[in-house]
Amino acid sequence: MNLSKLLPYNKHTVKSFFEFERTPLNIFMFLLSIGLFTFMLIGIVIYLLHGHHAYGVTRQHPWGLLIAMYVFFVVSSTGLCIMSSLGHVFNIKAFKIVGKRAIIGAIITITTGFVVIAFEIGHPVRMVIYNILTPGLTSAIWWMGTLYGLYLFFIIMEFFFLNNDNHKYSKIFGLAGLVVGLAAHSNLGAVFGFLVARPIANGVFFPLYFILSAMVTGSYLLFLIYGWRYKMKFPPEVKQSMTTLAQVLGLLLAILMFFEVWRALTAIYGLMPERGDIAIHMITSKNFLIGEVLLGMLIPFVIIVLSKGRAIKLMVYASMTGMVGIFFMRYDLVHDTQLAPMMPLKIREYSLPPGLVEYTPSPTEWMIAIGAIGLSFMMYYAADKFFDLDH
Amino acid sequence: MARYGMALDYKSCINCKACESACKEENGILLGADNHRIWVGVNEIEGLFPDLSIGSSNFQPSQCQQCDNAPCQTVCPTNATYYDDNGVVRVNPDQCILCTYCMQACPYDARYVDDRTVTVDKCNFCSDTRLIHGETTTACQATCPTKVRIFGDLDDPESEISQVLRDREHYSLKAHLGTKPKLFYLT
Ligand code: SF4
Ligand code: SF4
Ligand code: SF4
Repeated sequence: MNLSKLLPYNKHTVKSFFEFERTPLNIFMFLLSIGLFTFMLIGIVIYLLHGHHAYGVTRQHPWGLLIAMYVFFVVSSTGLCIMSSLGHVFNIKAFKIVGKRAIIGAIITITTGFVVIAFEIGHPVRMVIYNILTPGLTSAIWWMGTLYGLYLFFIIMEFFFLNNDNHKYSKIFGLAGLVVGLAAHSNLGAVFGFLVARPIANGVFFPLYFILSAMVTGSYLLFLIYGWRYKMKFPPEVKQSMTTLAQVLGLLLAILMFFEVWRALTAIYGLMPERGDIAIHMITSKNFLIGEVLLGMLIPFVIIVLSKGRAIKLMVYASMTGMVGIFFMRYDLVHDTQLAPMMPLKIREYSLPPGLVEYTPSPTEWMIAIGAIGLSFMMYYAADKFFDLDH
Repeated sequence: MARYGMALDYKSCINCKACESACKEENGILLGADNHRIWVGVNEIEGLFPDLSIGSSNFQPSQCQQCDNAPCQTVCPTNATYYDDNGVVRVNPDQCILCTYCMQACPYDARYVDDRTVTVDKCNFCSDTRLIHGETTTACQATCPTKVRIFGDLDDPESEISQVLRDREHYSLKAHLGTKPKLFYLT
């Protein structure tokens, strides 16, 4: 069978594939993507040579930057999937235009997430085998991984049918992807929420918060994707949609801040050990105040409120700070969970830090984590070349 | 089949670390601060001279608590962590994918990455080296000069450990988490 009939795509020669308008911004992004990707490859080589010893993770802090980055990417994916489904699954008019680009974005980000986690899990191949042979049904990681695998299949099918203009099937797979994606994503929250040993993470907060912050992330990414697509010159109907998106985002941010305030208050109240003290440490850290609050929530929120959602160009820039903030949210979520040492009596013996457990990502971790963004950019560039993402 | 547990008369501990050495030797544990299955916790003396609190100064030897309701087992995505017939929580290195979720979930920091198998490992009550041969001792217990450790079958009412747990007050670490540890501290 002819592939182009099954999956319509634009044919390219090597030359035409690398052809793009030579604007300074384009060239910058081109070099940035290649540079980041090279970084990632170097990081991967170092990891393959030295294993986890190339990372800054320790016995007391087994999860590091790569887990945070994995979460970052899969939250992005779920967020894009949720926001796109508002249009073509739930028929909300303003979101109709976002369908295809969001779905391809969701496929790309989750694929990148999987690539990142493959270099964090010690034995990824063994994982695939024993996930099936001896499934640990009480494990949130098992559910999260399995459901995300299913989710990736559904959204690929959704894109496939969207690309074929088969809206009936794309809608069915879109709905399936949405439901499974939500389940997978709240399970990722539960990976942390189920940790009875860690009072700061234990509880219902993360499974719910993950969905909410996914929607915020998805909105930021849509601004970035569309800002890039139209190079800031938005046609009127896109402008209309983006304004609605900004207003929805404003509401989401308000709810997110409300969540955060109550999370902090309930965690601190009563100063329960390993929860109150950790929460105070958390909310007084620069990561939280500058990263999460200022960049991640306040700047975009203020712009939306002051402009009533109409300052779209500004929102594209604010979405960049927003994504930086989201990165801090993921990093802090992983790091703060592990701050409290589990057996404080071991202090002297093994020179545990007397206070909280410390962790600094190693250069290798940075290379893989940040380099993965380059991988996303490259995949997006290729998708944009091969598929018509606008119609 | 037995249900093994250990009682620790921890006030007799003199922090000689013979148990740590014995465990390393017995199980071939690699060197390095992170690689340990067993440790002796040190409570610093509180107060300023001459008003030192002698009671505050003690040692708390510990290792995997062999929980009856082990968080490390529930979170394992591939069932690499399992309860064996003796109620000992074990890791099957062939199945472990090194996700380190169990290290995250264990409330006692009892797990570490073994660089020989590149999987997570922990105290297994010397199952591979002793219990499998029908011995009913562990290396750390056999070596202890002040007889801090009493190892035995909790299901056997006549065993020394069952008797001592009947006779003496004891507590378990972080029992409020519902992990049902099989390590008992005699007071
Ligand atoms: S102490 Fe930790 S490693 Fe040992 S059984 Fe309990 S949870 Fe598992
Ligand atoms: S690191 Fe190994 S034993 Fe621990 S939860 Fe993962 S698969 Fe199970
Ligand atoms: S019982 Fe064996 S494996 Fe466990 S701490 Fe003692 S010597 Fe080590």
